[in-house]
Amino acid sequence: MDLRPRLTLAMIIYIARRLTQGVVVLLAVSLICFIIFRYAGDPVVTLAGRYATLQEREMVRKAFGLDRPFYIQYTRFIANAAQGNFGKSFVSRVPAFGLIIERFPATVELATSAIFISFVLGVGLGVLVSLKPYALRNRFIMAGSLFNISMPTFLTGILLIMVFAVYLKVLPPFGRGETVTIGFWRTGFLTWSGITHLILPAFTLGMYQLAVLLRLTRAGMREVLTEEYIKTAWAKGLPPMKVIFKHALRNALIPVVTMTGLQFGELIAFSIITETIFQWPGMGNLLLTSIYESDQPVIVTYIMLAALIILSLNIIVDILYAYLNPKIRYD
Amino acid sequence: MKRISVLLLLGIFMGTLLSLTGQAIGASSIVVAVDTPPRTMNPHGSDADANLSVMANFFEGLLQRKAPEGNLFPALAVRYEHPDLLTWKLYLRKGVRFHNGNPFTAEDVKFSFERLSNPDVSEFINTGKSIASIDIVDDYTVVIKTKDPIPWFANNLHQIYMMDKESTEARDPGEAEVKPIGTGAYKLVEWVKGSYVKMKANEDYWEGPPLIKNVELRPITESSTRFAALASAQVELVSGVPVELYEKVLENPKLDVITRPARRSIFLALGNKPGSPWKDIRVRKAMYMAINEDEIIEKIMRGHAAPAAQVPDPPTIGYNPEIKRLAYNPELARKLLKEAGYERGFEITLSGPNDRYVQDEKIAEAVAKYLAKVGIKAKLDVKPKSIFFPQVARGELEFYLIGWFDGTFDMGRTYFKLAHSRDAVRGFGGLNGTNFSDPTIDTLLEPTGSIVDREKRKKVLQDLNKMAMMDKIVWIPLHYQQDIYAVQKGKGIKFQPRPDRWIVFKEISK
Repeated sequence: MDLRPRLTLAMIIYIARRLTQGVVVLLAVSLICFIIFRYAGDPVVTLAGRYATLQEREMVRKAFGLDRPFYIQYTRFIANAAQGNFGKSFVSRVPAFGLIIERFPATVELATSAIFISFVLGVGLGVLVSLKPYALRNRFIMAGSLFNISMPTFLTGILLIMVFAVYLKVLPPFGRGETVTIGFWRTGFLTWSGITHLILPAFTLGMYQLAVLLRLTRAGMREVLTEEYIKTAWAKGLPPMKVIFKHALRNALIPVVTMTGLQFGELIAFSIITETIFQWPGMGNLLLTSIYESDQPVIVTYIMLAALIILSLNIIVDILYAYLNPKIRYD
Repeated sequence: MKRISVLLLLGIFMGTLLSLTGQAIGASSIVVAVDTPPRTMNPHGSDADANLSVMANFFEGLLQRKAPEGNLFPALAVRYEHPDLLTWKLYLRKGVRFHNGNPFTAEDVKFSFERLSNPDVSEFINTGKSIASIDIVDDYTVVIKTKDPIPWFANNLHQIYMMDKESTEARDPGEAEVKPIGTGAYKLVEWVKGSYVKMKANEDYWEGPPLIKNVELRPITESSTRFAALASAQVELVSGVPVELYEKVLENPKLDVITRPARRSIFLALGNKPGSPWKDIRVRKAMYMAINEDEIIEKIMRGHAAPAAQVPDPPTIGYNPEIKRLAYNPELARKLLKEAGYERGFEITLSGPNDRYVQDEKIAEAVAKYLAKVGIKAKLDVKPKSIFFPQVARGELEFYLIGWFDGTFDMGRTYFKLAHSRDAVRGFGGLNGTNFSDPTIDTLLEPTGSIVDREKRKKVLQDLNKMAMMDKIVWIPLHYQQDIYAVQKGKGIKFQPRPDRWIVFKEISK
């Protein structure tokens, strides 16, 4: 039997189906958030100003097309969105999409660093723990990871700020530090100040994932380590590093990698709390401000974008998975 | 053991390395953290004080208000005349230039005022629509006529900022939202949304160059992070210190606290729907007397508030020192309720925002508890401001907590907006969220619109205020908030808070 991955007809159909599903989900998401945020506040009150009279408010409502029936507003939004026009922010009166994209690099850099930290530490500690599960040190690590999972991000962030910024004064408590702009991308990776500013928020954001990846690696490793071929490897007298990393970890890593990929999208989309605590100028921070000010176009665009990112990553992971593991059937 | 000491050493090494990177803030520079990020750099794009505060550094109005009392001074207009009820003749300052070098003239004034009524770029629709005509007499004289008499017109001129006609028309409208060109004491260097606004001194400023040359304004919305930024010397001045952190700031030997009675008063608006128990003045008095405001100030506001007996603050025209609070007296409240036939109490919904004023939700909870003690069942309905304020604007509520201060220092506008019966045609009662309606107040209020003489106006509004607060109990006043700022000690920062909470950097020195 030939087990080499191949692009078959079944696979193409599978991909097409996943893509169609994706579009339907996106439409559903847009409809739901359109409905929710239409009833969560009336932007006209802010848009017209505090002292506007009732008539002046109606005039503004008309000017922004908010007096039209719901279905017209929605279809107009979808038609425009299909052409890449997501409307103007009610608050800053510039295109909503631009506002979000401007914040995109900050969030991506934060999420990437967080996932990097949690992957390296999570897998590293996971392997360590799996080798001697009952050692006292490893029991501490496991208990610590449980603590990580249960601790709210908000608290982690504040505690880290208090310890490292206020008492030890070694790391800055907020913001992105100095940034360098390359094209449209404003990066904090290239300056020392940028990197020091990244450490605390990245740890805070990655903390939960770290614990999840640690536990996943440990479980996987413990299972693999009991397999016959590992015993054979030990029996052959291979060096421990080779047995652990080459033979065992490689096989234990598949679910870990899948998980990492899926989590990445969520980190990008929902780093709201971390970004708010650290005043990180990313998309999550913008979303929260926009919700406070009922800036509908920004909220809806953001959620659509987040849904798009998560969906794409899901589809990519699924396809890769299917591609890598020929045992997966596409029905 | 060995490994641990290596780790420790590494940690210390990293620590010193990192701490070396924290640069000191220069003597002619200042870094300030504020609680609300600016929304736009379009001076007419937001009427929120948080935004007007930032704009005041780039732009100027025809008049200006100065710290510490917020009195009016000339700015881009050197003086004005008010020959009749509808006419305002303004004499402009000569020789002022915009940041791009264009001279400031009457054309710019006309352009800026006309821009106010365009909903695409302005939140000052009301001011824009109230103007009938703007005539240019010569390059430095403008005559503005309003549709109706507006006694507080001049009081509002400090927040109507002047834009450069030529560049605003030439530029893309989107660019005017992010790159300000004004006549103010500072020029924008860079605005990274959510991160900072950097400004540098305008050396050609007509009042003379400001003392602080470089300003970095950092919005930090989370109050504990704002405190951490100050405690770790990353910023030198913060606004909006929460009452819970006040003690912490006081304890810190490196920080100083600056407080100022705020202009904003917090009060309860109570409807008077015919047939409702609270239409009865005895019930209104009972509800007033049931609330232990001293305890609210002590326990919830932690002492950072002053009891209020009325809505306007002392410098506002119409503030009446004769108005006194009804003393806390639950027994009398119960007696009054009994007299009114509500011995067994009644139900009422108490609404309010939970993200707008200092401790807003906790105050509302306390009020509900006090009312319960006299038998009134107040159902709590607190929600985010983005949902709450539209309900106020639509007049859907029966009883709610709200805060207010009038930027014009004139109570007339406030009363028209908050207490006059809702009247869509004449534009009254736009924020009368309970649909409160009292013909006596309406008839007394309406003629005040055309009283311009300051003393006469003061007298009439004081009488009206007294009647509304003592005879009608239009609102149940609670307290005036306190603004709390904190600065780094020993940096020589001279900062006087303003009544409007704006931070105007030309007024700060170091």
